[in-house]
Amino acid sequence: MTVTRVAESRTEFKLKSLPENAISSVKFAPKSNQFLLVSSWDRSVRLYDVTSNTERHKYNHEMPVLDVCFRDAVHTYSGGLDQTLKMYDLNAGVETDLGEHKNAIRCVEFATEVNAILTGSWDGTVKMWDSRVPNCVGTYNQGNERVYTMSIVGEKFVVGTSGRKIFVWDVRNMGHVNQRRESSLKYQTRCIRVFPNKQGYVLSSIEGRVAVEYLDSNPEVQKKKYAFKCHRIKEAGLEKIYPVNAISFHSVYNTFATGGSDGYVNIWDGFNKKRLCQFHRYNTAVSSLSFSHDGSALAIACSQLDESQIEDPKPEDTIYIRYVTDQETKPK
Amino acid sequence: MGRKKKKASKPWCWYCNREFDDEKILIQHQKAKHFKCHICHKKLYTGPGLSIHCMQVHKEAIDKVPNSLPNRSNIEIEIYGMEGIPPEDVKEHEKQKSGGGKGSDSEDDEPAAKKKATTALLGPGPSTVSPGILPTPMGPAPPGMYHGHMPMNPMMPPFMQAHRMMMPGMRPLFPAVSMPPTSTSKPTFPAYSNATISAPPTTSTTSSSDPKENGEVKPPAANSCPLVTATGAGSKIIHPPEDVSVEEIRARNIKYRPKPKPDAPVPQPQPAPAMITPSTSQAEVWVAAHMNAAVAAARQQQAAAALRRGVLGGVVGVLPASMPRVPVSMPQMAPVMPMLPVMPQFNLVRQLQPGMLLPGGMGGMGGMGGMGGMGSMGGMMPMGAMFPGGVMMQPRYR
Repeated sequence: MTVTRVAESRTEFKLKSLPENAISSVKFAPKSNQFLLVSSWDRSVRLYDVTSNTERHKYNHEMPVLDVCFRDAVHTYSGGLDQTLKMYDLNAGVETDLGEHKNAIRCVEFATEVNAILTGSWDGTVKMWDSRVPNCVGTYNQGNERVYTMSIVGEKFVVGTSGRKIFVWDVRNMGHVNQRRESSLKYQTRCIRVFPNKQGYVLSSIEGRVAVEYLDSNPEVQKKKYAFKCHRIKEAGLEKIYPVNAISFHSVYNTFATGGSDGYVNIWDGFNKKRLCQFHRYNTAVSSLSFSHDGSALAIACSQLDESQIEDPKPEDTIYIRYVTDQETKPK
Repeated sequence: MGRKKKKASKPWCWYCNREFDDEKILIQHQKAKHFKCHICHKKLYTGPGLSIHCMQVHKEAIDKVPNSLPNRSNIEIEIYGMEGIPPEDVKEHEKQKSGGGKGSDSEDDEPAAKKKATTALLGPGPSTVSPGILPTPMGPAPPGMYHGHMPMNPMMPPFMQAHRMMMPGMRPLFPAVSMPPTSTSKPTFPAYSNATISAPPTTSTTSSSDPKENGEVKPPAANSCPLVTATGAGSKIIHPPEDVSVEEIRARNIKYRPKPKPDAPVPQPQPAPAMITPSTSQAEVWVAAHMNAAVAAARQQQAAAALRRGVLGGVVGVLPASMPRVPVSMPQMAPVMPMLPVMPQFNLVRQLQPGMLLPGGMGGMGGMGGMGGMGSMGGMMPMGAMFPGGVMMQPRYR
């Protein structure tokens, strides 16, 4: 991948003391644009102070970590290939194993509404955990499909799995699944994020395509759903279509950023069907994105996860923090 | 717009308060002074236009209109000549200039008419500035998908064009999905029939035309297959062939297997000794089993597809050799490929549009390379499997 080197500027900089292997997930702390939690294939979970560009905490799993989340400013949760859900108290520096899945934990989310942790696993289930003590509240089968992505806003909980299945739950009532859907995209689901206003969700696939869908099953509302192509590069007559690995919502404007294996980050206005901007090309695939709570900063994790695509020399695993402007994120 | 009053005074520039005799000159001034991109010196039409241009073309945010007064630097306000100036500023300006102004009605009317004319004429101006963000059929046109396609449009079966047209109306939104089935039917190319000298287009020609057009759309039928299938000759999904997430594939790597001492507190960078401890074997077995199943299924499909392709395989094999060398080598090909009346058509079209010539040719080559690289699994199988026409189309890209 040829990339023009972009000088660091006040609007964008690279984090220091980065993980030593691919970055699986980045998440900003709730109510902060200072702290960023990062999970990596180097088995670590790290907390960065973005303002001072320092690493503040670090703990390890036995195996690569695939996802992390915050409960509040001082409690974090993580899971990965070691199948174990860990809670970490940042103040005390104490880690607690909360429980296990039968296969790798792919996604970890905190459900504010019920004060519980949700984990999605390749064992085909989602589990709900008491956020304080090791206690699994419930196990919810996701059609025996491996969980690839999850997103929760308020009570709306959407799970995307292998086989292009989508399950919509209400976390207040996990007794039954609210909606079972098939992805409207024809290829493997890569990422799902629920709109901050809970009206719907955005779904991306490995085939350079993003769908905007609505949860209300009323046909009038469903008519509004659409999908568009992105993260494709045409070179010498061959169109390369890249997976769209990451989506992150701007919580204030309901616009969202997508990151693809092509190394680009785009910001979209999903309601008006417009692209607001595209950043420069990053050094390798964008593996994870996270807007800070007020939408002023965007963390961009760059890691090539697809080892068949890794070039020589191997592109660095990096995390950029970009301070975005209204012009880049606000619907026009 | 409160426009009636303002032409009492001379046209003036909101950004720098300078007066002009003629609005045309004012517009020239604004384009040169305030709406010029500092990077490429392109002259845009409005402040927002400039800002969008910089954002999209140079990926730079502009927060101020260049060369403007401090309180008049707002880039968000769309001003073109005297159009769009906030009414309060118009009043203020008139107040400052007062003493004069307030011309007779007749004076008023004439410029007004003129102004309207200009606006009407220039109306499209501001909008053309930002084609990138206008809603294109499927929403914004991201760089990847663009206009490489456009020249191809004429070749699309007309109803597909209709499809595109419809899209701005934005309903079913899944044209991609809905198209492929229809595309197997047989519209001809009325649009191009005169450009095409030889061979009236046949059914097969049409089918051979779409894959490139919307290659990525093709595979829906192959969907159930556990492979991420290439999407037609013109495009390639940058993903491992297996239809499992890259994380799962990566997790199979020996270096991510658990290490003998699980509680080592230090992060162990990669090459960890690969030992399968009892605690993990379960997971591994699971993963392994799953993957094997996927791969096996894939192979089956592949084999089936190969069978189905059977006879045509020969054809496919032959074409690559002749095609890239002699793009217009229709006659030679004809015996090989009964369908080939198509080919001249395409070649012709290409020649008619020099811009396309190169990419087209390269596409052929690139396609070949790509195919080879993907082995037999990715590229061709799905087409053969799901879309018999697919075999016909291939030669075109080789």
